[in-house]
Amino acid sequence: MNDRPHARHLKGPLPWLAAALLLPLVLGPYHVALLGYIMIASLVTLGLTLLTGVTGLVSFGQAAFVGMGAYTTAYLTTGWQLSPWLTLPIALLLTGASAAAIGAVTLRMSGHFLAIASLAWGISLFYLVGNLPWFGGFNGLSGIPPLTLAGFDLRGEVPMYYVILLCAAASFWGVLNLLDSRIGRAIRSIRHGGALAESVGADPARLKIAVFTLAAMLAALAGWLYAHDQRFVNPTPFGIHMGIEYLFMAVIGGASSVWGAIVGAVVVTLLRQVLEDTLPALLGQTGNFEIVAFGILMLLVLQRARQGLWPWLVERLGVRRPASAVAPMAMPSIRTLPARGEPVLSIDGVQKNFGGLVAVNRLSFQVEAGGILGLLGPNGAGKSTMFNLISGVLNASAGEIRFLGRRIDRLRSRAIASCGIARTFQHVKLVPSMTVLENAALGAHLRGRSGLVRSVLRLDRAEEARLLAEAAHQLERVGLWAQRDELAANLPLGQQRVLEIARALAVDPVVLLLDEPAAGLRYKEKQALAGLLLRLRDEGVAVLLVEHDMDFILGITDRLVVMHYGQKLAEGAPRDVQANADVQLAYLGAE
Amino acid sequence: MDLSIFGFLVQDGLATGAVYVLLAVCLVMVFTVTRIVLVPQGEFVSFAALTLAGFEQRQRPGLAWILLIAGGIAFAMELYGAWRRRTRRGLAVAAFSFLALPAALSAAALAGNALPWAAQVLLTCAMVTTLGPILYRVAFQPMAMASPLYLLIAAIALHFVLVGSGLYLFGPEGVRTAAILDGSTEILAMPVAFQTLMIVAASLALNLVLFAFFGFTLLGKALRATAVNRRGAQLVGISPDYAGQVTFALAAAIGALSGILIGPVTTIYYDSGFILGLKGFVGAIIGGLAAYPAAALGALAVGLLEAFSSFWASAYKEVIVFTLIVPILLWRSYAHLTVDDDHE
Amino acid sequence: MQLQRKTLIALAIGSALLSGFPAKADLTVGVIVSATGPAASVGVTQQRTVQILPKEFGGEKVNWILLDDASDTTTAVKHARKLIGEDKVDIIVGPSLTPNSLALLDQLSETGTPMLSLAGSGAIVEPVDEKRRWAFKTPQSDGQMAQAIVQHMASHGVRSVGFISFNDAYGEGWAKSLGALAERNGIKIVASERFQRTDTSVTGQILRLIGANPDAVFVAASGTPAVLPQATLAERGFKKPVYQTHGIANNDFLRVGGKNVEGTLLPAGPVLVAEQLPDGHPAKAPALEFVRLYEALPNAGMRSTFAAYLWDAALILKAAVPNALKTARPGTPEFRKALRDSIEEVKDVVATNGVYTMSPTDHLGLDERSRVMVRIESGTWRLVR
Repeated sequence: MNDRPHARHLKGPLPWLAAALLLPLVLGPYHVALLGYIMIASLVTLGLTLLTGVTGLVSFGQAAFVGMGAYTTAYLTTGWQLSPWLTLPIALLLTGASAAAIGAVTLRMSGHFLAIASLAWGISLFYLVGNLPWFGGFNGLSGIPPLTLAGFDLRGEVPMYYVILLCAAASFWGVLNLLDSRIGRAIRSIRHGGALAESVGADPARLKIAVFTLAAMLAALAGWLYAHDQRFVNPTPFGIHMGIEYLFMAVIGGASSVWGAIVGAVVVTLLRQVLEDTLPALLGQTGNFEIVAFGILMLLVLQRARQGLWPWLVERLGVRRPASAVAPMAMPSIRTLPARGEPVLSIDGVQKNFGGLVAVNRLSFQVEAGGILGLLGPNGAGKSTMFNLISGVLNASAGEIRFLGRRIDRLRSRAIASCGIARTFQHVKLVPSMTVLENAALGAHLRGRSGLVRSVLRLDRAEEARLLAEAAHQLERVGLWAQRDELAANLPLGQQRVLEIARALAVDPVVLLLDEPAAGLRYKEKQALAGLLLRLRDEGVAVLLVEHDMDFILGITDRLVVMHYGQKLAEGAPRDVQANADVQLAYLGAE
Repeated sequence: MDLSIFGFLVQDGLATGAVYVLLAVCLVMVFTVTRIVLVPQGEFVSFAALTLAGFEQRQRPGLAWILLIAGGIAFAMELYGAWRRRTRRGLAVAAFSFLALPAALSAAALAGNALPWAAQVLLTCAMVTTLGPILYRVAFQPMAMASPLYLLIAAIALHFVLVGSGLYLFGPEGVRTAAILDGSTEILAMPVAFQTLMIVAASLALNLVLFAFFGFTLLGKALRATAVNRRGAQLVGISPDYAGQVTFALAAAIGALSGILIGPVTTIYYDSGFILGLKGFVGAIIGGLAAYPAAALGALAVGLLEAFSSFWASAYKEVIVFTLIVPILLWRSYAHLTVDDDHE
Repeated sequence: MQLQRKTLIALAIGSALLSGFPAKADLTVGVIVSATGPAASVGVTQQRTVQILPKEFGGEKVNWILLDDASDTTTAVKHARKLIGEDKVDIIVGPSLTPNSLALLDQLSETGTPMLSLAGSGAIVEPVDEKRRWAFKTPQSDGQMAQAIVQHMASHGVRSVGFISFNDAYGEGWAKSLGALAERNGIKIVASERFQRTDTSVTGQILRLIGANPDAVFVAASGTPAVLPQATLAERGFKKPVYQTHGIANNDFLRVGGKNVEGTLLPAGPVLVAEQLPDGHPAKAPALEFVRLYEALPNAGMRSTFAAYLWDAALILKAAVPNALKTARPGTPEFRKALRDSIEEVKDVVATNGVYTMSPTDHLGLDERSRVMVRIESGTWRLVR
């Protein structure tokens, strides 16, 4: 997957844009109009790319949002004689608001449920609009005025083409900016599990609604352009079949990249053109051969190249990512580390019940600044439950967890992250399509403030540079600097675990929670990891380590807590615990 | 609204609902075994009705061509797979189910002989049922491990292929097949057509059969095992490919039966399947795509809702039915949160 | 730069793909029909008819370019752009559907391209304003057909009517026309229901209609889907008259409807019952000629009134083209304008649907000779005299 945005940020798209600007000089009006259709469709698929490929949400209902944009301007310009330039923001805001409302209700649903809900609202809206008389019913609204600019009439294929091109170029620019930003990294992390986004302090639910709204607004922009290009609207172009077709375009083009949106729109539109031109050969035959051809093409793409055509093209064109131009520089810490030995995390009588099962039973211990505490126990002892209680994934049934004196046992994961408690995952959670540097920068999410709008408009560059420098600094700190431009997916497991630690460090944590960081590592990798943890400890970070690898944990911890059947079996210095008869019986003896 | 209208609406809702039940149950079955949301389930229904109508009018049914072509492709895929794996295992079975069987059925269908009614029905059912595994082999088997989302998109693509060919093979106009049972009886002082009774009875019977099949037979249990854990099932010797094909055959058979049952009471078009399937789907969703009784009840509820909304606000019927799905989905997604199932 | 060269190559290939070389005939006519999608049953018959259309008008060779808009407005507009911009057509015949025809109006008036629409609604040509100056149509408007029905109702003592129609543009058009006319004739519409083309049951709607106790029921739907409401009416024991629209006029309707549709009344173009027309009827000869040609086509089956609209469009062109040729050569804006003017002037063109006489205020030009009332009797269409 090659959705590295700044890769082709300057060099890549510009020749293409120049070509797009020049095309009307060589093409006839019809082909210019056709290009306009492609661009309009690519706006919708761009939104779908954000939704499907980047965020992992599937919608068959985008055509309904196109319709919302088109109908808003159609209604307001014909019924109320408003200027199209005035109806554009109205259409965008109205569609955005509706999408935010629909999103708030439906985005909680996972995977295919959401897809089906989108089919449902697509059909509902179609019949609703068709039966509302003030929208012209099924026969539609005609007489939509053409766009004018400073007295210039923009009707006709070529002027409209440039308007559409401008809108499309601006939208692609904005989306590329977004993906290459603090918010963008958080958005790209969503499809790899909400827990990852939460662990760096991002709110996946809100981000999903934001992406959904943005996709709908892109669709609305497409609808506004469509209405003033066609100068007529009726419900059919916004029905469920178009919704499905837009998704097909996104998948065929390659939903994991914004450029796939254009490729998909081009391929589908041109293929349709070719089919229409060859169809007269089958004159007199009734059959919807276009639909059959699309269905087959779609199946082939799904079976042979599920990532779509863009990644395949990238391979053929040999587009390479340039090296990142960033120098490591630590951001000023947002917190003061407590003095060495001061308790930072106190667990006090914490209990967790799952139905009748007591997973954690009245457990109490403390984590001190500048120390490594090991939480040890055989499988099923309740270690992971305890870990989840501290990191806010689960809520305790009884007892208190305090961080620097403040109760945190009722907080959600992202609030806990914002306190300065960073975590890693037992099963590595990285964004495989982002580089090592970007993955580390994801951790610095809470250290930036630029929101969606600033990111889209590229007003976040100064802050973005600081965030990346901080991420680079953390990479240097953990020893991954050399790999900064690799895709995270290409790292060996040991380095992936270290990258998770770098990401956690970018949170600027007081406490680092590590969930079995040594699992699956080879001996050398374990040694390197141990060295890293010891260094971090010396720098004053408190570390809570959940492990069942005895050798690893004995070597580096200052203190050990041993759990057994949810209860604390022993606590103390590693050597003392090792000598404890109960521990030997319950844990070591069992091995 | 007086009581008799209420009664008629309930009867209508139950009759429509019974068909949705059959679709919903198939959708649940296919989804649990293969994780495919089988959008083309409706096409089995419409193709069966259209094929039977073709027999009645002494036309050569177009379904035969789909069967032959798709079967040929399926076998070619098998051959290619066998060549790559350098094994001849399974080729004989494939040759039978993808080549010999479709060829025999198509030959019988295309011969154009006047067949007795029962033979027409049987041949129709056999053809549609044969189509099921072929479609699974061609469309889904190569991507069986993909996420439910991609499988859903593939299902819609397959639906496009079938509907597009349907227009070519069956034409744009609808059909009504000959009544199986004319006449009516009285239940609770209300005339009820035999045809309606038959649909409801068949729906009920099929549900019981499926229940027994999945509860008590070895094959049924094996399919359920696949549903729970594909890899595990493979380890104990149940091939997911086999499970998928069997499930599709079952779904196609039930679809064919549904088509034959509703053919006489309504007009069926080449594109009737999509909306039928979606309605069955709304029912299946109520059951969370997992539980049979809930799906069946949900489908009945959809039928009733449709009957009453077509009485009260016919122009907004689809709006009402499909808006209903949103609160249900919402409740479903709160009921069991499966958040991280959607990435590959 | 390597990428740039690749861009250029891709660009060259792209433009090569995009630009075809349209064959330039003397006179080029673009035909847009809805041969697929929801309106397929209408458009398919028109698609078929293209084969029997005249190959020359007034000694000028005609090149017919047929495109299918899949019942979709975007596609219809796209096709019109292609026909106008690339194929440089002299006139567009079609589209088959009202919304699709309406969607073309702006484009036609701005490019100065005449259109002979094949769609029903009067709104396509009424009123003849700046935008509709270039739009003509051949099918009787919904209003004219509705008038025939309302007249028949009024003269047969129908005082109240229950209405059920497609939940789409077709149904909407009829609901409007009927609503206006019925009121003027003292007929009350006591219930107005909608149904979907692919619905499997309309019991709810029919119960509603019967509950309103109308003197007659009027079904506005096209093709075989129009059977379901009538079958349900019969099932519920409704014995009063049932009216349908000319949209049902094909043999499939009779086949699917069977005995359920016996006695149905509908207005139709004369071509539907060409053989039964009295010898003096002007449409008889052209209708019989069309029927002979159309029904000889492979797989065509019975005549279709929708196909006849396209045929009539050709007849109008046949009358108008020679005049226009006197002014300019085909393929020029001047010729298109001359053709438009010439169509507006056609007088007494005898065609399968009646006699067309256009004028600057009437771009349809049909009178009451363009429709007859037909009743379904023993499984065939019978002219009501």
